[in-house]
This record gives sequence, C-alpha cells and structure tokens, in this order.
Amino acid sequence: MGVLEVKGVNKHFGAVVALESAELEVKRGEVHVLIGSNGSGKSTLCKIIAGSVIPDAGEIRIEGTVTAINRPQDATQAGIGVFYQELSLVPQLSVAENLLLAALPRKGPGLVDRAAIRRRAEALVEPFAEVTGDGFALEALVQDLRSDQRQILEVLKVLATEARIIIFDEPTSSLDKRQVTVFFDLVRELRDSGRAIIFISHRMDEIFEIGDRVTVLRDGRSVECLRLAETDQDTLVQHMVGSLIAPVSAGQHQARDDYDDTLLSVENLCAHRLDGVSFELRRGEILGFGGLHGQGQSLALRILFGAEPATAGEIQLTGSSRRPSKPADAIRKGLAYLSGDRNRDGVLLTRPILENLVAADLTKHKRFFLYPQRLIRKISPVVDRLKMRFSGFSAPISSLSGGNQQKAVIGRWLTIQPDILLMDDPTKGIDLHSKTDLYQIMRELAAEGVSIILYSSEDAELLGIADRILVFNGGRIVQQLEGTQLTAFNLYQAAYGVTA
Amino acid sequence: MNRDTGISTVSAFLRWVDLARRPYLPAIAVTLLLFMLNGFLQPKTLRPVSIVADISTYLPMILLAVGQTYVVLASDIDLSVGSIISLVNVVTVSVMAALGGSLGAIIAGIFVGIAVGIVCGAFNGFCVAVLRFQPIVSTFASGIVFAGIALWILPAAGLAAPDAYWETYGENVAGIPFVLWILAAMGIAVAVIAQLVFARSLLAVGGNIQSAYQSGLPVARLRVRAYILCGLFSALSALCLTGDTASGDPLLGAKMTLGSVAAVVLGGTALSGGRGNPLGSIFGAVILGLIGSVVFFAGVPFEYQNLVQGLIVLAALAGGVTVARR
Repeated sequence: MGVLEVKGVNKHFGAVVALESAELEVKRGEVHVLIGSNGSGKSTLCKIIAGSVIPDAGEIRIEGTVTAINRPQDATQAGIGVFYQELSLVPQLSVAENLLLAALPRKGPGLVDRAAIRRRAEALVEPFAEVTGDGFALEALVQDLRSDQRQILEVLKVLATEARIIIFDEPTSSLDKRQVTVFFDLVRELRDSGRAIIFISHRMDEIFEIGDRVTVLRDGRSVECLRLAETDQDTLVQHMVGSLIAPVSAGQHQARDDYDDTLLSVENLCAHRLDGVSFELRRGEILGFGGLHGQGQSLALRILFGAEPATAGEIQLTGSSRRPSKPADAIRKGLAYLSGDRNRDGVLLTRPILENLVAADLTKHKRFFLYPQRLIRKISPVVDRLKMRFSGFSAPISSLSGGNQQKAVIGRWLTIQPDILLMDDPTKGIDLHSKTDLYQIMRELAAEGVSIILYSSEDAELLGIADRILVFNGGRIVQQLEGTQLTAFNLYQAAYGVTA
Repeated sequence: MNRDTGISTVSAFLRWVDLARRPYLPAIAVTLLLFMLNGFLQPKTLRPVSIVADISTYLPMILLAVGQTYVVLASDIDLSVGSIISLVNVVTVSVMAALGGSLGAIIAGIFVGIAVGIVCGAFNGFCVAVLRFQPIVSTFASGIVFAGIALWILPAAGLAAPDAYWETYGENVAGIPFVLWILAAMGIAVAVIAQLVFARSLLAVGGNIQSAYQSGLPVARLRVRAYILCGLFSALSALCLTGDTASGDPLLGAKMTLGSVAAVVLGGTALSGGRGNPLGSIFGAVILGLIGSVVFFAGVPFEYQNLVQGLIVLAALAGGVTVARR
C-alpha cells in the first residue's frame, strides 16, 4: 500500500479535459517519476495533491485514509510539501525568511524569533554551501539572487516543511550540473529516510538517474506505471507519444561549408558577467552556445537583442555597426529573440492570441490604425506552418498549453521574417512533441537563409541541431566545436573547463 | 584614524544606507532639510513650544499614515480612512454628549469610537479579502457609506466635545505634553508590530500574493487584519483630531485620505506592496505638514500656496523614487 494514492481523479477547465480518471500510487521510500508531454496533466495532478486545484471527482488517500485537500494548508497538514515550477518566493524578503515563511518560528505572543530563524535556516542551507555561489547569504534579499540560487532556495523551502510526501515539479531546470549532483544526493537521503518523492523532469538522463518507478501520463490519463530499472528511454517516449510515432532525434545534422557571407560579427563583448566574447555568425548557420548553465550564454543573447547593456565591445550587423540600443531597435535591424522564460520575455499572458502573434510586427512596422482581419491574413500562413491548435484568435494566450504558447511566440517572430533568430533555451518546459516541431522549423529556417543562435541547457539538443558550438565557461568562450568534434565528450570536457 | 579604517567605516555606512532594506532614509533626510529651512525662514519654529504645537498638528495625519501603511504593504489601499475619521469623530462626540459629558461618558465615547474604527476596517477587509472586491473601488464606495452615516448621525458641524476631553489633550501629563505621550505610545506599538510574525507575513502577501498563498499563509485573514489595524489607527487619528477641534464635524476627515496615501509613498513604501515601513510614513506625514509650513513662512501669496505645495510634494516624491531606483 502506498503512502499516497490518487484514484479516479477528473478535472476539467472549461471544455478542456486536464485529467480523466488519473491514478497514482507512491510508496514510502521511493522516488516516483511523473512523465508526459505538456498538457498531459502532470502539473494539474500535482496541484490537486497540493490543494491549489480542487478536482471535479476522485479521491486522495494518505496512508490509506481518504483525505480531503481543499486548500494548500490542508496539504501541508497532511504532510505534503510542494516545490513549485513557477517560483513561490517573495522577492522582498530575505533568504532565511522565505525558507521558513510557512511557519516562521515565534516566541511569546507572535513575535518573530530571529535567532531561531537563523539557526534553522543555517542548518537547511548547509548542504548546498559549496555550490550556491556568491551572494547567497541568509540575510540577502531574494530579489538579488540569480535564478539557480532561487531554485535552490525553493528546494530548501520544501525541505523546511519536513513533509513526508514531497512533490518536485521540474526542480533542476535552472541548476547547473554541480548543483544537480548535490540536489540528487539530498533526494536520495530523503528517500532513504522513508519519504515519498514525486519527481517531474523533462530530462531523461535525470529521470533514469534518480527515479525508482515512473508513471506515464497521456491526455490526462495514467497510461503506464513501470520500474525504471526494467525499461528504457525509447519505451517511455513510446508510452508518452502513444499511437503517434514521432522521431525524437533533433533532426538530421549535416556538416556544411557552403556559407557565403558573415551576417553578424561580435568583437570583445564585455558586461557584468561577460568577459570578452568574440565570434562570427554566417548566413543560414545554426550556431550553438553550450556549456554549464549561467556561464554568460543567455546574457550574450540578451545583449545582442539590446535587452541588457554591455560595458564594452563591438557588434557588427550587416549594414550597421551600431549595437542595438533596445529590443525595438534590434527588431528593426532584423533580429528576433525567443526566450525559454515565456512569462518574463515572451507571452502577454492576459492578451488574446492575435495580439501575441502580431506584437513584433507592430514594433517593426509602425502603424496608426489596426485592421484585425488584415493581420489575421498576414499571420495565417505562419500559424499553419507551426501547426498551432487553438479555439480562436481572440482567446487569451493563457488558455494555451506551454508548448503552444511558445509556438505563438515563435509565430510572432516568423511574421516579421528576421535575419537572425536568437534562441535562449527555447525548449525549456516544453513537451517532446512541440520540441520536435521546433527543431523542424529551425532546420527549415536555416535552409531559407535565416541565421540562428541557439543556447540550450539540453546538451543532446544542442549537439543534434547546431552546425557549430561555442562553449562558454565563466563568461568566456573556451572552445569552438565543429563537424566531427561535435560529440558529447568534447562538449562536457570543454564545459568543465578541461582544454583538449 | 588611518585610511583603511576610514574606508571600512565608509563602506559600512554605505551598506547601512541600503535603500532596499531602509526605504525610509530619504524621508528622514527630507524632513531634516525642511525642518532646517523652516527654522531659517522663521526661527521661532525651532522653539520647543512650536515643535510640540507642530507635532500636535501633524499627529492625526501621522496616525492615519501609519494605519494606511499596513494596508499598502499588503498591496491593498484604503480610500475610506478620511470617512472613518469623520464617522468616529461624530460618533465619539455624540456618545459623550448623550451620556452627559462626565468622565465615564468620555471613556465610553473613546471606546465606542475605537470600536467604530475597527468595525469599519473589518468591513473593508471583508469586502476586499473575502468578497474579493477591487480595493480602490471597494474602499472608495465604503468611504461614501461611512461619510453618509456620519452625516446621518450629525447633519451639521458644531456639537461640542466635553471640555475635559480637549483640555486633557492639550495639557501636560506628568510634565510632558499629552500629544508626546501619544506619539511615544504609537512608536512603541509600531515597533512591536514590526517584530510580529504578522508583519513579516504581510510583507510576503504584498510581495507576491501567489507565493504567500502557496506557502500556506492565511492570506485573506492577514489582509483583513491589515484593514482592521488601519481602521484602528484611523479611529485614534480621529480621537486626536477631536482633541484639536473640540467638536463634532461630519466632514472632518474628508480631505485626509489622499494625504495619508501621499505620506505613505513619501515615506518610501511601495504602492505595489511588499516593501516599506510605517516609520517612513511617520516622516512622510511630517513632510506634508512641514511643506505647508515652509510655503506659509516663505511668504508665498495665498492664491499660489496650493500650487507651490503640490509642486514640492511632487518634487519630494520624484526625488524619493529616483534615489530608490539607483
């Protein structure tokens, strides 16, 4: 008997079926992986267990007893702790206060017990002390932390609740490899001490490294529960995809040497965490930025797009030697920027799909009046090409799944036919099916002469699709990989600063 | 002192002047500046008697601004505080008059007044946090209701408060002016509240309401409590104002609402919530008062006083925002 059993859970959001008789059984002392494409219901299932979404039907049993979980507090009382994919930190409070926010230690009549907060927070932070990097102090305000530090804090916040059932919803998406190692050690410790852990990740290698059993979700149903030791990646993908048989490979890679001209050249680019980056981008090339997370790849892309300032360096775009001063300027110069951080850089969440699709077009071509029908005619080919599915252009983009939202943002850029597409970890948190579509589109664009710079936190993706990879370490390009050098071995070696 | 310790002292000071943690520092600086300017224009304002008189004038706005701060920290707003003042004022004075103006009547009036403030706050909190009405619209509307009730209870200004009430307010108690006792008591209350888990949780609600909810904080209860606290401080403000005016006036607080919001913002508290401190609001309220005083003593013609006063408030706000963004 499992410590947590979910039986026959249904959940509808309007006409959309998020879960249909979903089942889950998690045992004490195991890491139970949940996988499925976006929109398969993983997040909804977790939210139901966490009490932030109330199911239409079904029951949750904890230690065999049917338990009603209608609010987050109910889940906390039942011993369930949740790591949220959308970070649940308060930027204006300190690290220590955020850690213990749910139950700040008190003394007397509701007074904050600062000494106790410090003591408990110190003990919690200790295992990560080696890998958190600069600026991760107990008194530091969360608003000043980097994204990986926030993610670690989020992990620690769950541990602080001392829950016996812990849900980790994509806990490693912002962490570098050293941080992941420490995190996994911690997860194993938790498992061995008898906790039940639900683990969600889009990274197969992580799933096989840490998981004991796996439940596959597809279209809101639990289709399979397997021991990870007795299965393999292809089988899992097969279950996720179902009757659809799609290739998971990142696309056909062919070495090319037929580039005719250089579209972009960057000379000695410097910024707060960028130390003299130089490279050239040729027409129709897919250039990969590789390396450990947060080594300056995203920053370089954001500077190219005019979204962050640079302290020094030259950027030569064909026909202009001036650095884009702001995104609107970059867009008019033929650049486009696709970020994996959709909520921050991509979607206008409360606005209709149409407005999201034409946002870049409106920036590039200043217009006084808008004719929605004309705009729809203009973007229709793009929408068809991306195989986007939605009920209507006037529906808010928040009604789409993550993968379809990201497609809408790509559509926004395709509408203005950019010369250079900057992709900043664009497949983060997207289902495999949408990823495959995206790789296909990238290949097509490159064939049409669009140059792409891709930073990806998934090495397999980078190796599969890039013609050339620049490996970043500590804000510098430490190595360039081309042709037959494009192997995981070379990439890892360069990423960890081992010079070949 | 050698050079290294000099540098470390400076850097220690710069760390202390961290506006993210101490957003009220510019307000204190501006207060000192205005105070000195005031003294330069009219040296008599620097005498202790004048200072006490000033404090007694500013005290109602100080209390109101402190109350408003708790609501704003949770990223809500209370536009009914002026009407709460009017209502508490007429209720208090009416109760005191109805019971004959004895000591017992005065005490009863004070308690009923405070109770009215708390009920008004609870009503606002219920509308905003439980019924999920928009704070601006909801409290604007409830303000009209409170003001309407005040007019219904006392249709015309002029009902006198008992002599003993306003005389005590203006007198010395144990050799120290009564208003200073109130100020000190308020200071202690603010300091104690700042140490409460409630205050930290309120910052969390204002900083990121979704996070606070997902962390299991009782978000609705915290917001209601902030409104109740605001109602309580509004009532105390009304009692002080009554001590000043010595009578009931159904329009007494009408113009103070936006002043309290301005004081909160001048004090470095973000209207978006999650960042700020009631200490700043105290100085914000003093700044508002001092600006009026400076404009008066500078001899600005009467017809321009509002304009100049408004421009200075705008400049002070702009300055605060610029410094905070640096």
